[in-house]
Amino acid sequence: MASPSMTPFRQELPFLEWKRGIAGQRLKQAAIAGVLLVLVALTAWRCEVHMKTFVLGIDKGLPLVGMFFPPEWSGMVGMLQPLGVTTVMAMAATILGMCLSLPCALAASSNLAPPPLRLMMRAFIALERGLPEIVQMLLLIAIFGLGPIPGLVALSFSSIGMLAKLLADAIEEIEPHMLEAVAGTGATRSQVIRYAVIPQILPALFANGLFRFEFNVRAGVILGAVGAGGIGYIMSTAMNSMDYQRACMATLLTLALVFITERVSDFFRGRILAGGLLR
Amino acid sequence: MLRVSNIVVKLPDGKRLVNDVSFTVGRGEFVAILGSSGAGKSLTLRCIVGLTRPSEGEIALMGPSGKSYRTTDVKAQELRRARRHIGLIFQGSNLVKRLTVLENVMLGRLGHINPLRSWLLGFKDAEAREAMVALDRVNMTSCAARLAGSLSGGEMQRVSIARAIHQRPLIYLADEPISSLDPKNAEAIMAILQPLSRETPVIGAFHQPMVVAKYCTRAIGIRSGKIVYDGPAQISARQLEHIYGDSESESYLPVRPSGAQPPFYGSNLQPVLHEGATV
Repeated sequence: MASPSMTPFRQELPFLEWKRGIAGQRLKQAAIAGVLLVLVALTAWRCEVHMKTFVLGIDKGLPLVGMFFPPEWSGMVGMLQPLGVTTVMAMAATILGMCLSLPCALAASSNLAPPPLRLMMRAFIALERGLPEIVQMLLLIAIFGLGPIPGLVALSFSSIGMLAKLLADAIEEIEPHMLEAVAGTGATRSQVIRYAVIPQILPALFANGLFRFEFNVRAGVILGAVGAGGIGYIMSTAMNSMDYQRACMATLLTLALVFITERVSDFFRGRILAGGLLR
Repeated sequence: MLRVSNIVVKLPDGKRLVNDVSFTVGRGEFVAILGSSGAGKSLTLRCIVGLTRPSEGEIALMGPSGKSYRTTDVKAQELRRARRHIGLIFQGSNLVKRLTVLENVMLGRLGHINPLRSWLLGFKDAEAREAMVALDRVNMTSCAARLAGSLSGGEMQRVSIARAIHQRPLIYLADEPISSLDPKNAEAIMAILQPLSRETPVIGAFHQPMVVAKYCTRAIGIRSGKIVYDGPAQISARQLEHIYGDSESESYLPVRPSGAQPPFYGSNLQPVLHEGATV
């Protein structure tokens, strides 16, 4: 008597309910896509973005591209020193940020810190993350003057912001049973941090730190252009004096630096997350 | 000896999750706490180590020298002192996965180690050798150098027992130590806990009356936060029904046997009833 076309009533209603749910989801997705499309059209109209600007720009820009070549190879050796300044600035900022982000993360995690301290620290981190590096840099130039020092401070500050937030999240993900088991032996809070929290988040600290290093190299180039020195400064002076071949050389070196740091950081990050490095 | 007197755990709305639970556990006892999920087994155990603070009642642990340690209504420092004498064994996943097995065992004695030494020097070789003896009792010495995260569930459970042994407690508390294990591993864990209980009493929460009857000396049945059975570990079917309640609870919806014909409804959604079937 049971034919495949007949569905038991017990299954029919839940099935229809499921189908309604799926249809609702589709509708919601379509609505979101529509709203986004309207927004794009509206902003393009208000900000007077026209395809004409692109087309004319290409027309004017193409001959300019030719002026970038050949790169000024003779300037390469002289640029290696500023390149080093940018790298060292990024590296020092990353290490400083990693060291300082650990206490900040401990104070910002809900499962370790008392609520008032946690809220204060979260607000501090939000502030650091809210200020772009370049804004911090411009403020710091007023204090330290031009040079790599304000760049270093700006990069370390925003590194603390990002790393502390990621680490605090990693700390909050530690299973509560694990912390309770250590606390249950009569250990103090500092011992729980030493033996249950730090070993668990060390890989996250180093993996995110390497990621941040990549970011700091790129941000360091930009900060260089607004006064932190390094390869970014070479780049901006060359562009301002319309020495396009020199700018091209600086661009190539920047590309090489970013590419190498990315490869190196990927390599170590892979090793850390696989558990080979750091045990 | 452990004395639990009249403990009550209340939710903010006044609902009692543990309601007036009292019992004492003395030398040579292996006590099993039985009851459905949510009956209050784990909560009672958590009260004993002070991970949950009961709103009423008193819990005291008496040492052989007559010294007593309370875990209710005490300050943090005194609670830590009491916890040193309670060996905790949780249900799986309570080891620090990024530390080695031996380090995890050594965590058992953190309560006896100065926090400053934990940060500056770490564990001593003598402590490591002592931890090795504890690891030997659970037959896990060959895994000492491995990371705890690489162990199987049964192995992890053994290591957490070794950690409790290394603590040299006055009592062992085991919260569902065999729930996540296959029958063979569960028996192995019970075969470790049973001889242990002859030296130091063991209290554990269990879901397996058959295993309890085989290994334990006494059983306590909890239903809706109240003790409804306290007696020999060999429990009759009738008494079990009393502990676990009858099938009126909705979490015990019967599963339809695969061969049985359900009441059938046609595709026109009109009920077609078998003779004698009820809707």
